[in-house]
Amino acid sequence: MIRRKRTCWTAILMVCVLLTSGCSIWPGQDDSANNKKVTLTLWYWNRSIDDKLIARAKEKFPNIELTAQKIGGDFKAKLKTTLAARSGEPDIVALNDWIMELFPSEDRFYNLYDLGAGDIEDQYLPWKWKQGVTPSGQMIGFPMDTGPTALFYREDLFKEAGLPSDPEDVTRQINSWDAYAAAGEQIKEKFGGKVFLTDNIATVYNQVISQSAERYFRPDGSFIGMDSATVRKSWDTAVAFKEKGLLANADGWTPGWNAAMNNGEIASFVGAVWMKQVLQEAAPDTSGKWRVARAPGGDGNNGGSFLSILKSSEHPQEAFELIRWLQSPENQLEQYQTLNLFPSAPGVFDDPAMKEKEPFFGGQATGPVFAESAQEVPNAFFGERYPSVHNIITRRLNDVAKQNADPQQVWTDTVHRVERELQR
Amino acid sequence: MWEHRALYVAISPFYILFAVFGLFPIGFSLYLAFHKWDGIGVMTFNGLNNFKYMLTDAEFWQAVGNTFMIWIYSTIPMLFFALIIAFLLHAPFVKFRTLFRVGYFLPNVTSIVAVAIIFGALFANNYGFLNYLLQSVGLPVVEWLNAPWGIKVAISSMVVWRWTGYNAVIYLAGLQSIPQTLYEAAKIDGASAIQSFFRITIPMLRPVILFTVITSTIGGMQLFTEPQVLVGNDGGAGAAGMTIVLYLYRESFINNYFGYGAAVGWGMFLIIALFSIVNWKLVQGKSS
Repeated sequence: MIRRKRTCWTAILMVCVLLTSGCSIWPGQDDSANNKKVTLTLWYWNRSIDDKLIARAKEKFPNIELTAQKIGGDFKAKLKTTLAARSGEPDIVALNDWIMELFPSEDRFYNLYDLGAGDIEDQYLPWKWKQGVTPSGQMIGFPMDTGPTALFYREDLFKEAGLPSDPEDVTRQINSWDAYAAAGEQIKEKFGGKVFLTDNIATVYNQVISQSAERYFRPDGSFIGMDSATVRKSWDTAVAFKEKGLLANADGWTPGWNAAMNNGEIASFVGAVWMKQVLQEAAPDTSGKWRVARAPGGDGNNGGSFLSILKSSEHPQEAFELIRWLQSPENQLEQYQTLNLFPSAPGVFDDPAMKEKEPFFGGQATGPVFAESAQEVPNAFFGERYPSVHNIITRRLNDVAKQNADPQQVWTDTVHRVERELQR
Repeated sequence: MWEHRALYVAISPFYILFAVFGLFPIGFSLYLAFHKWDGIGVMTFNGLNNFKYMLTDAEFWQAVGNTFMIWIYSTIPMLFFALIIAFLLHAPFVKFRTLFRVGYFLPNVTSIVAVAIIFGALFANNYGFLNYLLQSVGLPVVEWLNAPWGIKVAISSMVVWRWTGYNAVIYLAGLQSIPQTLYEAAKIDGASAIQSFFRITIPMLRPVILFTVITSTIGGMQLFTEPQVLVGNDGGAGAAGMTIVLYLYRESFINNYFGYGAAVGWGMFLIIALFSIVNWKLVQGKSS
């Protein structure tokens, strides 16, 4: 009997050992007291910071024990869960273009102005810098890369359709959305409907609105209204593109989009600088046939990221010095060369590295096009509810494009939905 | 109780884990359902507003409708095929039975994300394999993922492909437990194979069929990964692939209405409970 009891307890003990060995409950002792080294944790996602740059940071700052963690999967969800749990937070975290969703939680971040960010403000693009500043004037995000937009187009198809094909001519002649639509109708006619001007309705809407200084909200948080000139113009342009039959209805990030690009069914699209990479991977067979011109209707920005310091960090000053170095103009230039991350520091735009000729674009140096675009991006206020309103509109536009829903009816319904959303 | 403490300790891991990962989240989600919370900031009491919003939200009801349609599209063919497969596997003339059983069960253990990607390639509007087949026999292409019914068919077919083998194995176990003597007695009385199928096999399988109907109801109501990977967080064209759980996920984790998400979770709980009871009555009612 005694023997059996002992076996039972041994079994329990073993189960406990097995359960606890998998996860470490006890955090490592803080060794900063012992050797004066400051420990900093950095969260980023793949291809947002070059691994070599992080290795160099470790050499450059011998007083910092840097733990750089590449967070995979849904980065935003993981960050938000960690913030909600108030435990296991990193010192430094990369934020994407959804930074405004965190503005209501600005007290969870260090105000970078307090750490000396104001001294270097003039080295960065003003519109980009302001995207990291909350409506109350706290700077929670330090500029990383940006996504200035331009027109990507197939030089061969434009030429065949009798359109201007040299980047400078395209920039000069196809300079408005109307001129762009007219070019689309010429392409449609020439290729008998086998080649579309652009990929999908959401691209058109996104790009028209991203060229405007006005979005859905005023800096005081109030809603401008669906009948604002900007929203109406973006919506009407998108619907007009659909009605003229200029859309291939190929959604981004799908195999169908890749195939349509590679097979030459799409003659052009307005996209951010990082679309260069996406396009090259999607459409290897079209290498040499693409060119880049300034976008019709003006310049805009899509995406781009930031670095932040969480309030839970015990070493904000060291963290700021590290961020400042990581995102210095020289290092941003290096990241452009290694990872295609477009700098937010215009001081490096004239560097020869930004003017390299690219074989995929038929030997055109596309860097200067995006550099000019980056300097003309309007300074827009987004507001924390920007994503949800924007999402409702693009979602409903898809119904117009793909299900032939009546645009007027969808518009009325969308206005109603947005109003409902804002009352929540 | 104290003298058996060692045994209580031995069974405690389950209860501890259940309390931490089961009981607490259930209780917390009920609390959350009456609050407004963006996931990070402070929670504010919201009364019944979350539930009010849910009941008046057209998208919620569309999601409920979609979920039911997909459930019907998938469950009926799935259980029908499963029964036939089980019946064939049970037949004495079938060789390599284990091989077939493993073969039919295999889809069930395949990564669901991988399955959704493959089905996405099959049903793609342009360059999809199904459209390639249609075109090669001279039929017009179907824009599967642009049509509300096409999206539902694509999602349902994924469910059918994945769960038919699973249900077939369960039916097979049920078939094997039917005593052979019943069939022999029926044979002596001159019953045909079809008669003994409907008069012996089906009634004897009723509890097993009930089990599969209930599990596929619960599974069907909780459909998430298939539509999410196939058509995205917004449920694809016209939100035709928006299921209840996908809606819950989008409202909580994309739009950051965690309190509202919790309320939707409880709404879904009620729907599943109601629906399971109805199913139970329907299937059980016939036998009594």
